[in-house]
Amino acid sequence: MADEKPADDIIIADRICKTFEGGIQALCDFSTRIRRGEVVVIIGPSGSGKSTFLRCLNGLEEIDSGSIVVDGIPLDSSRKNRLEIRKEVGMVFQHFNLFPHMTVVENVDLAQRRVRKKTRQEARRMSMDLLQKVGIADKADSYPGQLSGGQQQRVAIARALAMMPKVMLFDEATSALDPEMIGEVLEVMKDLAREGMTMICVTHEMGFAREVSDRVIFMEDGRIVETGTAEHFFTNPHEDRTRLFLSQIL
Amino acid sequence: MTEETAAQPRRPAWRTVIRSPWMDVFQYVLVLAGVAWFFARGTSRMGYNWQWYQVPQYIFRVVDGHFQAGPLWDGLMVTLRISGISLLLAFAIGLVTALARLSHSFVAQSCARLYLELIRNTPLLIQIFFIYFVLGPVLGLSRLPSAVLALSLFEGAYASEILRAGIVSIHRGQWEAAYSLGLSTFDIYRDVIMPQAIRRILPPLTSQAISLVKDSALVSTIAIYDLTMQAQAVISETFLTFELWFTVAGMYLVVTVTLSLIVNTMENRLRVAG
Repeated sequence: MADEKPADDIIIADRICKTFEGGIQALCDFSTRIRRGEVVVIIGPSGSGKSTFLRCLNGLEEIDSGSIVVDGIPLDSSRKNRLEIRKEVGMVFQHFNLFPHMTVVENVDLAQRRVRKKTRQEARRMSMDLLQKVGIADKADSYPGQLSGGQQQRVAIARALAMMPKVMLFDEATSALDPEMIGEVLEVMKDLAREGMTMICVTHEMGFAREVSDRVIFMEDGRIVETGTAEHFFTNPHEDRTRLFLSQIL
Repeated sequence: MTEETAAQPRRPAWRTVIRSPWMDVFQYVLVLAGVAWFFARGTSRMGYNWQWYQVPQYIFRVVDGHFQAGPLWDGLMVTLRISGISLLLAFAIGLVTALARLSHSFVAQSCARLYLELIRNTPLLIQIFFIYFVLGPVLGLSRLPSAVLALSLFEGAYASEILRAGIVSIHRGQWEAAYSLGLSTFDIYRDVIMPQAIRRILPPLTSQAISLVKDSALVSTIAIYDLTMQAQAVISETFLTFELWFTVAGMYLVVTVTLSLIVNTMENRLRVAG
């Protein structure tokens, strides 16, 4: 807090390294800063460490060295800090990971009641507002198994938003969806970006990147290869590896 | 549809007969008749003097319009009480053991492992004797608490393995989603993991509960007058050996089948749509 300007940088990752068991190095001296309200898109070939970076930010993976500070809270071995950071950081997964034994609205209620200690009524009101926002209020009493992939992912976004996070992490949120459902999820994500939510998205949707992102990071082998605006990546990427990768996904 | 109607005429007549539901009924009756014949033949060859009419008085009597429990009824109540309490305790012990084995604490893990291997690899009969004759005097346990403790510890070991299997069968993504929402480990177990795990393990857990009811017959060895012990006592006076043992088996059957039916209803209630 003393030497940084927390009002500007909500996430400060400094030279983080992560090696999985078996010796695969997922992140290597990875440093970046995310400003409040910034929308960052991370691209890169599979195994380049994109997802690992997101998962380190909320402590789902432990870093081996380096430091991560989220909204002024250092992510260290303290359990309290970890819970505190998870409250502020929402995450949306590739495979939705909704709780299948709870209805849609119960999925959205749960963390509000358990973590934010809201009453059932308070939580329900907020949940219904959020479901309205992601356009799925009519399915509030359905079970996740009765919804399409796109609908499930929108519920998952509402569930994460219910904690009123300061940052949202999207880990390949549209990769498991049928093509006709990608649009509805991207729309919700774009709305969020326009409202000023700080977002870090691992995605290959370059259209999304072009439309709403402030910055695109291209990663390979656990390192940042190139950073710039989406426009920069489309028109004039510097690195050969970036060009090669873009030619493969576009 | 069209495929079926097209195929219909080509199906040979014998196949239609064999596939008809009446054929199933016929086969079932045939099997039952075979079993009945086998038993009838066996019992007549025994030259045993069957006296089934003697049995009901040992279950209960109605004297002057009042219900009067017989020894078998009393025994059944003892069996139900021991099994009921042991069932709850076994579940609790199983849950604690399963969570201990899944925890990060080395001490908790190894204690759970030691308990599990010790109990699972020795006979229940010896455990009952050990607890009643060795631990009982030290801890001041009388017969009934000793029996309940022995049964709970024994079945708890098996229940813990079932519970552990259920817990680890829940996809990692469920943990991650719950963690990312800021839920504590306790909340995650209570709200996310256990409700799903229990649904999956209800069938094997029921088998274990049924085993417990039947294993409770072994408490008769420390002279607890449960269903089995009462039957032994009546038999030693009346020599109605086969009638009483079959009756007792039937009574255990009623208890265990009721248990299965209750769990079945639970399973249907808990079924999740989608």
